[in-house]
Amino acid sequence: MDPKLIRNFSIIAHIDHGKSTLADRMLEITGTVQAREMKAQLLDDMELERERGITIKARAVTILHEKDGVTYQLNLIDTPGHVDFHYEVEKSLQACEGSVLLVDASQGVEAQTVANAYLAIEADHEIIPVLNKIDLPHARPDEVAEEIESSLAIEATDAIAVSAKSGANVDLVLDRIVERIPPPSGDPEAPLRALIFDAVYDEYRGIIVYLRVVDGSIRARDRIRMMGTGKVYETVEIGRFSPKMKKCESLQAGEVGYFVSNIKQLGDVRVGDTLILDKGPAVEMLPGYAEPQHMVFADFYPTNPGDYEDMRDALETLCLSDSSLSFEPVTSDALGFGYRCGFLGLLHMEIIQQRLEREHDLDMIQTAPSVTYQVLDRHGEEHWVHSPGALPPPDQYEELREPIARVSMLVPTEFIGPVMTISTDHRGVFVRQEHLSATRVQIVFDIPLAEIMYDFYDKLKSCTRGFGTLNYEITGYKADDLVKLQILVNGKEVDALSSIVHRSRADTRGRAVLKKLRKEIPRHLFEVRLQAAIGSKILARENIAALRKDVTAKCYGGDITRKRKLLEKQKAGKRRMRQVGDVDIPQKAFLSVLGGESKS
Amino acid sequence: MPPPIPSRAPRGTPLYVHLPFCAAKCHYCDFFSVADEGQDLEGMIDAILAEAHVRAPHAPRTVFLGGGTPSLLPIPLLRRLLDGLEQVTAFRDHAVEVTAECNPESLDGEKARALLDLGVGRLSIGLQSLDDDILRLFGRVHDAAMGLCAYEAARDAGAPNVNVDMIHSAPGLPTRTWREHLRRILDLEPDHLSAYTLTFEEQTRFRTWLEQGRIERQAEEVELLQFAITREACSAAGLEAYEISNHARPGRECRHNLVYWHGEPYVGIGPSAASKLGHQRMGNLRAIPAYLGAIERSGTAIDWLEELSPVRRLAETWWLGLRLSEGVDPARARASAGFEGAGEDPALAEAERLVERGHLERVGERYRLTPRGLPVADAVARTFLTRLH
Repeated sequence: MDPKLIRNFSIIAHIDHGKSTLADRMLEITGTVQAREMKAQLLDDMELERERGITIKARAVTILHEKDGVTYQLNLIDTPGHVDFHYEVEKSLQACEGSVLLVDASQGVEAQTVANAYLAIEADHEIIPVLNKIDLPHARPDEVAEEIESSLAIEATDAIAVSAKSGANVDLVLDRIVERIPPPSGDPEAPLRALIFDAVYDEYRGIIVYLRVVDGSIRARDRIRMMGTGKVYETVEIGRFSPKMKKCESLQAGEVGYFVSNIKQLGDVRVGDTLILDKGPAVEMLPGYAEPQHMVFADFYPTNPGDYEDMRDALETLCLSDSSLSFEPVTSDALGFGYRCGFLGLLHMEIIQQRLEREHDLDMIQTAPSVTYQVLDRHGEEHWVHSPGALPPPDQYEELREPIARVSMLVPTEFIGPVMTISTDHRGVFVRQEHLSATRVQIVFDIPLAEIMYDFYDKLKSCTRGFGTLNYEITGYKADDLVKLQILVNGKEVDALSSIVHRSRADTRGRAVLKKLRKEIPRHLFEVRLQAAIGSKILARENIAALRKDVTAKCYGGDITRKRKLLEKQKAGKRRMRQVGDVDIPQKAFLSVLGGESKS
Repeated sequence: MPPPIPSRAPRGTPLYVHLPFCAAKCHYCDFFSVADEGQDLEGMIDAILAEAHVRAPHAPRTVFLGGGTPSLLPIPLLRRLLDGLEQVTAFRDHAVEVTAECNPESLDGEKARALLDLGVGRLSIGLQSLDDDILRLFGRVHDAAMGLCAYEAARDAGAPNVNVDMIHSAPGLPTRTWREHLRRILDLEPDHLSAYTLTFEEQTRFRTWLEQGRIERQAEEVELLQFAITREACSAAGLEAYEISNHARPGRECRHNLVYWHGEPYVGIGPSAASKLGHQRMGNLRAIPAYLGAIERSGTAIDWLEELSPVRRLAETWWLGLRLSEGVDPARARASAGFEGAGEDPALAEAERLVERGHLERVGERYRLTPRGLPVADAVARTFLTRLH
């Protein structure tokens, strides 16, 4: 196809502002998908995504749209909306030339809309503002258009008002994409250069690589090379997304599609890499992606030690399509062999955990999430500390620093007071406050990332009756009075339960953790002593009394097998237990500690 | 798909016979039995004899008629059963102990004499309680007076060896009352007393009632107290506790039941009866029509079979052996499980750990539960059953 007739675009929106619905309508209106095949949220094909109503992975689809008698090929690259998936958004945006900025006409501009819109502006995108849910009684299109202008400096007087739900005016959006977004600028005659912007693993076909052709073209049976990894493959199949994968002869400069090559080695494909012809002339690599910044670390341990290898395979598979996930082997006295994983944020962590359990059928124990700390040692050298267990004793370092996030919150003006309060409660330092419109205000605080991780978002939501939204970026590291809160079970420190906290919080948090453990750890043959401590100083104690009575009254010949099975029942449950010394700690106990301080 | 038919057990192997009928099902009972009304008792006896023909060992050391309620059978049927067993096994000349379980409503002087005449030497009578309200709650069809009458009848008939079954920690049973009942029973000078803590087994009415809140379980302290005073009172009366719930005059320990706790082989016939032979445990079909049908077709009715691995045999030996006051000899446990020397015995480390914690003690070569370990015997057993690899 003539590159002049191609438009590559993405949709930027906050969760629930109707991005997936708009995409669905576009597919329907253009006949890409017949109405009867339509499943709501067609693009979100992971089970988890559909369940949570959020988009995790970037997806792509090719739409044919006719305008003034000419057929255009519109390639929509879907982007995730959640703050954790910032990195995925960046990847998607680099594969297109323009964006539809979709804003809910009653909710208004939200913090993530701002963050993602700035990414699009940075990527030099032509931005088309669209106001959604215009048919709702609370819609206030004029005010929201004003918010777009004041918060993003984007001209929004001609914003298209649509209802993605009913489909009203969605055709106008398609027309405007054709009018405003520039066609791809690549050279169809130049040697092949394509950007790998995503990849998924298919059990039967190997790795499916999502690509955007920048220059030249790619055909079936081409021998191609991935510049970064140096791996050479022959393309077995080339195709487009409509939205199902559909074979085609070739993909030209500007087009978006996929190739399959029976690639089974997960390490061979790296998202962000440049694809070229193996025997072609030398070309310059496309600008790669910035390394994702891991904000949150947690350890995953297989409940059944025999699953260690399977867990590695599963993590490798996930890494393939999610280059923002990292992992490395780790050993713990209490939990055995496992992996320390780095995540973009808490939601990212939760999704990876669930995918390991659902898609790879692994039972595992997950440690409390922890941010990466920085230690300044006595020789003036800086070290990274990814887990509380790795923190040296206090007399061996000068400073313990934690990551600070600049948190930008958009809230209705009547909630300024409560938002200030929770921010200060979470050790936040006020930065600035700006009115976006008569009713909405942007409040910016510097808050330690660790504070945000536990329950800040929940608290923001509840103190603004659900209207507040936030976005954050890490601005640097700052020393504070941080201590390692140790949890001891019968005198033995369990590193998986320990955490680094601000000294002022250690006491409350220690108590809360012990209370939860007390509930989850079963009674043993002996008393189980739980302690929370900083160094040798005990902050809190709980005891779990020893079992006093546990004996079968009747045990005769006819019943031995059944009684034994009853006694062994705990063995099945044991897969979810960990032994610390003689104490069996159920997985639930580890997980219960994850919630952080008890909600007050 | 039925497992292969086991070959006949060696001469002398103990024999258990399960008679699955009761006058009424007790509300706490999870043994396999059905009400006898309208049942073909005769057909069942013939089926059991047919099974005996195929599976019963010759000259069994002990015989135990359990159930259900064997005493419920009319005398002619008891004769048919026991004479039939005699024909197949010649137990009357060889068995050192032949027990029949009896319930008060079906044990009078005549029945007791008949049982003794037919070769039964030990009568085990289910009194369960001396409180009429509790007996009603239990779903028993006799009262306390009938229970005592049955005991007298057994003795008057000349029964040389009598056991009484009792249950403590029943809902609302005060410890004082239990102490009093215990004294009255011990005054009767039984040879053996089985005293059970009331349990709420799955699929019993008691369990349902407990879950519905219609009955209340005694506090843990009360259960512990009634358990402890039972052992004391029995001991003072000359009946030492030789197992968690069993007390006997010296030499009157139930030899048949000891077979179970020692992990020795036995053959069980009748619906639901279990057997242990070699390294296998197996059990018969439970449902009466299924059992009858299988016997008619093949003379056997094996429903399930499990192969016991060496580690499991070892763990079972410790679990069952620790229920006995004599405890466990690790060398014998190893021998029965097929482990070579102490060096590779995974149970020893667990046992030593339990000694350190005060739940086990070592007496000579043997390990046994301490007074502290006794009330948590299951938790102790669990460490062997779940931690050995």
